[in-house]
Amino acid sequence: MNCETCQLKELVVEPLEIRDVLRCILHTIVFHRALGLVRPKDVDCELFEITYVQCGDAELERKIDEKIDLFIGWVEKHPNKKSQVCLSFYEVRNKQATWMFSNKTERLYWEQWYINLHVINTKTHGKSHNSKAPINPGDNALEESSSRRASLESALHEVLFQIIKFVNEKKDHIPSVTNSEVISFPYEITTPR
Amino acid sequence: MAESGKSEQIITQFFLKVLHAVLGSRIPHRHGAAPPDPARARKRDRWFNLALGDLPLAFDHPHHSVMDPLIIDIILTPRPPADLPEAIVERWTAQCESWNAPHSPDNSPSFLYRRTYKKSILLLRSLYCFLRLLPAYRVFRMLRSSNQSHNYDLSYRALSFAEPFSREEEREFKLHSFTPVETQFGQLIVSVQYRPSLSDFNLEASSLLPPMIITDYVGSPATDPMRAFPSSPYERGARPISFPLRGVRTSATPSAPRPHSWTSAPLVHHPLSSFPIPASPPDGYGNRIPSQRPTTHRKGSFSFDEFKFSPPFSSPSPTPSPPAQGSSYLHSHLRSETAPLSIPQPLTGKSRVHSSPILSDPTKIFLPPPSPRSMRTDLSSQNSPLESRSFRKSEGLRAGDIYSNLQWYTAQKSLKDGRDDSGRFSSVLSSGGSPRLAFSRSSSRLSMQDDIDDGDFSCPFAVDDVDTSDSQNRSLDGKEPPESIQASSHKSQDAAVGILIQMLKTAAPLRQDHSYSSQSSTSELNGVIGTSSFFSRRTSDALEELRSYKEMKEILLSRSGTNKKKSSILWHQDP
Repeated sequence: MNCETCQLKELVVEPLEIRDVLRCILHTIVFHRALGLVRPKDVDCELFEITYVQCGDAELERKIDEKIDLFIGWVEKHPNKKSQVCLSFYEVRNKQATWMFSNKTERLYWEQWYINLHVINTKTHGKSHNSKAPINPGDNALEESSSRRASLESALHEVLFQIIKFVNEKKDHIPSVTNSEVISFPYEITTPR
Repeated sequence: MAESGKSEQIITQFFLKVLHAVLGSRIPHRHGAAPPDPARARKRDRWFNLALGDLPLAFDHPHHSVMDPLIIDIILTPRPPADLPEAIVERWTAQCESWNAPHSPDNSPSFLYRRTYKKSILLLRSLYCFLRLLPAYRVFRMLRSSNQSHNYDLSYRALSFAEPFSREEEREFKLHSFTPVETQFGQLIVSVQYRPSLSDFNLEASSLLPPMIITDYVGSPATDPMRAFPSSPYERGARPISFPLRGVRTSATPSAPRPHSWTSAPLVHHPLSSFPIPASPPDGYGNRIPSQRPTTHRKGSFSFDEFKFSPPFSSPSPTPSPPAQGSSYLHSHLRSETAPLSIPQPLTGKSRVHSSPILSDPTKIFLPPPSPRSMRTDLSSQNSPLESRSFRKSEGLRAGDIYSNLQWYTAQKSLKDGRDDSGRFSSVLSSGGSPRLAFSRSSSRLSMQDDIDDGDFSCPFAVDDVDTSDSQNRSLDGKEPPESIQASSHKSQDAAVGILIQMLKTAAPLRQDHSYSSQSSTSELNGVIGTSSFFSRRTSDALEELRSYKEMKEILLSRSGTNKKKSSILWHQDP
């Protein structure tokens, strides 16, 4: 079974936008892989005019928030860097013991999503570009922030379209569902260390 | 069921699901919604593992064969008096196009319908997400959330055939097609033509309410819920915003023209929106409701080996959530209308008027009686041992206050006999527990007995009496021996009075009483004692009288003795 990989378009985000962006993307992906009975839950982004869908699993929500917290913690220690958050789906296979004392299980990844983020801090990032002192620093900063936010929203829209397109085009690699859980497949969210 | 029948059923249900998903996120107003049939709703929800809730409205979906396309036009209809043409903003097309399936083992009917079902599930997931990414969804949210009138409305047409767009019209639309799903009868193709922007339509709401801060939030005990809001937008002719609940318009505005927190739709955080879009209230569609965790009791919901067509649940799946916020809205609304309860103030000292929370009948408020009842009121106002103690200390029923003691005695008597009136007393007293508790409760219960027994009142002494000795407990049963008087000399003054009172209670009438003196009195003494009136006496008087009687007795005896001597002497002297 081959592992399908999807590299999502890079998003330039500020630290405060990380949570909203990651929640939106991760939940959208998982919603397409939660093949148990789902009562979809519409959630509005806090910072963007985007509504995404959650599958309503509280445990999933908790895990995603946990990972986002980890990532934010890492970003604070490594500012202004490009990074990836990876969402993987796998199967668990029992490796046949070659000798008596070995009984390992292995994970067979069949799908991996790479969320590419470039986290910038506009305060430090913006100052380095301005050589002249602006006449109205407050207005300029606000305008810049608004336009940056608008372009991020548009880019996030595109990422969601990208997810939908990928999910539609690649279906044959999805393994059989063997349980009645909402989240049909084990998954893993990996953040940089 | 044959595989072809299963495939056909999958396709039919697929079309229905597409229709359900599209209309549920495009048509805001529910007109003539059929009452939900829970069983049918559950069965419908299980298809494709996507529970979409009740059908948004009563629509007659065109009966068509699996090969007939389903075309759903979403139309932006201008409201009168605007004289503008309606415009199609989206056209959804779902159809099963015949195809020449390549010959392979994967395309065998038994295998194909399972794969069809699996891929249909994925397609519908994508469709559901995609519906929320298009511009018409924002219009839908705006129209659904607000009670304001807008210059446009969203409607739909479900057809099997529609005139294709002209070339000019097509230029205004963008096309998105989902990846086809292979079926036994052909490929299931879902596509949408949509307008990428709706800014040309100049959508606006009439009498738009600006965001406002409710400074005196309804529900606060410090505010009057019925007070009119001072600078109310109503003065400007605007109407309040309420949550529309499944077509039930909350046009029943509160009696006070005041926007309450539950009537205003909170503005969603959309800083870049061209028009304000209030947050969507929950509806029965599963939108924005903290969704229940779906039941996951399906057996092998998706295994190719165990695929089942009919909803494979052994127990009913959760029904679409009712407008819980609606009911809570109603409840919160009602709560705001009830008068706040007065909090009973704790009693201190001689507080005359109080309302005890223990009282089952709150109308029985103690009032200061001008008569002996006043003592009862003061004493019965204590509803806790601590308070009774403090009361006792502050008031200090002195030993000499025999009048109150006497009344307390009568209260005791009535308490003892009160089992006929209220079993609570007997149960409390016979429990062997602290009469502190008995009296702390009985203070309120005695109030209940106001109508039953006039001479009742509670006395705080019993609290202390019980604490000091068990004998005093037993004294309630009237078995206390006279020796306890000597024992009480070491106790508090009040305890001593209590003991005396109990003695009086248990003592036989003076007429027949021989207990005060081991030296039995003569018949004359008895007669003298018997003539006295007991109830009008106080203890000290009684004791004094006893002493006087004793003296008199001795005097009489001594006199009789001397008289006899004299008479004998006199007799002896006369020849």
